[in-house]
Amino acid sequence: MTLQILINGILKGGLYGLMALGMSLIWGVMNIINIAHGAFIMIGAYITFLLFNFTGIDPFVSLIFSSSIMFLIGYTIQRGIINLVIRAEIFITLILAFGIEIFINNAALMIFSADVRKVKVSYGASNFNMFGVTIPYVRLIAFLLAIAITIILFFFMTRTKSGRAIRATSQDLDGAVLSGVRVSRIYAITFGIGTALAGAAGTLWAIIFPLSPTMGGSLTLKSFVVTIIGGLGTMLGPVIGGLTLGIVESFGTNWFGTTFESLISFSILVIILIFRPKGILGKGKE
Amino acid sequence: MAFLEIENLNSGYGDVNVLSDISLSIEKGEIIALVGSNGAGKSTLLKTISGLLTPTSGKIIFNGKDITGISPDKIIRDKIIHIPEGRKLFSDMSIEENLLMGAYSRKDKSIMKDLDNTYLLFPILEERRKQKAGSLSGGEQQMLALGKGLMGDPDLLLIDEMSLGLAPVIVDDLISIIKDLNASGKTIFIVEQDVRLALENSNFAYILDTGSITLKGKSEELIKNPDIKKAYLGM
Repeated sequence: MTLQILINGILKGGLYGLMALGMSLIWGVMNIINIAHGAFIMIGAYITFLLFNFTGIDPFVSLIFSSSIMFLIGYTIQRGIINLVIRAEIFITLILAFGIEIFINNAALMIFSADVRKVKVSYGASNFNMFGVTIPYVRLIAFLLAIAITIILFFFMTRTKSGRAIRATSQDLDGAVLSGVRVSRIYAITFGIGTALAGAAGTLWAIIFPLSPTMGGSLTLKSFVVTIIGGLGTMLGPVIGGLTLGIVESFGTNWFGTTFESLISFSILVIILIFRPKGILGKGKE
Repeated sequence: MAFLEIENLNSGYGDVNVLSDISLSIEKGEIIALVGSNGAGKSTLLKTISGLLTPTSGKIIFNGKDITGISPDKIIRDKIIHIPEGRKLFSDMSIEENLLMGAYSRKDKSIMKDLDNTYLLFPILEERRKQKAGSLSGGEQQMLALGKGLMGDPDLLLIDEMSLGLAPVIVDDLISIIKDLNASGKTIFIVEQDVRLALENSNFAYILDTGSITLKGKSEELIKNPDIKKAYLGM
């Protein structure tokens, strides 16, 4: 039983990690706490839902569509809106992101209504048994994809010219400008990637969990908690933070009941902030 | 017309004007020095040339082209590279990644050849190429900053406060490298608080005092000038 709870936690934790990856990237590079992150995850989830319902595209395949569409949305929002206030204090960008979140949520409520929906794939309930542990296929595939996307991002950031420029810009802005980096373009790419990651997380979320236009708020909070737990400035941070939250939540809800889910995640947040204010792996500023 | 021609330049930060009516010219193939005390506006001038700051009036002409007020990435592609004070390296990235960032705006095929040349010039950087830039000593970081600047394949190199905080032996090494670079055809504009060092190692110099150029001349003559001796060389 304990093993089953642990595996459940790890599988969910991988998805939490992917959810937080985009938020952590945007936060680390641009110092923006993107309150609208959960709303982007929600849009990604609805893209998958719509593609599945109207065209029958397999939700796992729709990952390509949700992430590319969300990249374009993120790139445009950064280029057109956020770049205007990028030199402002963190509080200003926070309010702007909050405004974007309210806009997206209300637009989604108008378009989709508040009904809770589900992507009903034929293989949704299939699972297999290993060492007495039941593992649903969709959760395992979602977990593996989340890890694979994290690894792809890692290679992008360390092995490509654009990835290097993103890291350089986050480490020394003037140094990057004097190397010929066009910062507004790099910021737009970074925001695009962060949003694409949110879209991908939304797709994987929609395969496993029900969706509604208002799901974004709690997902923003979860991404926030995971980002803080893992620590800013490393790509492994969100993975570690996600797994930590997933496992603790899995055991916690098993012991105390699902009504305590939020309480549990915020308790870990507080504990981490007390004992490791920079997060488990973080090297950001205090 | 000179290689770099600056005419009646006014520049500063926001509403604060730091430089007033600066005019200077740099001939191709020279080492030019800009000296002056702390707060005179030396770094402000370099930042304005490299596009980090936009001048309020005046003109900057490089290689016959008006580059006044254009963006830093375009100025870099025109082959002016600015090595800033405090080096501004990417401390969490490896030495090699820092050097490659130096070539960020280049699209030609000889980047890897220039990387080899940079390693030839600074063997210590090749030895530690995988190491993070932040783990280097001050002297090594300045070498990396110089190497990173060279990776941009500059025609004009602007070097701000290269000697600051470094041991004299290391400064000597860096100066001899700069002289070699100059001999190989690069024009170099050095900005220094160490007036003696700058005058001993340049062809021509400008003295900047509270935002204006108060004196200019051949470095070998300026170093004998009694006013300069008194004000800057402590004699």
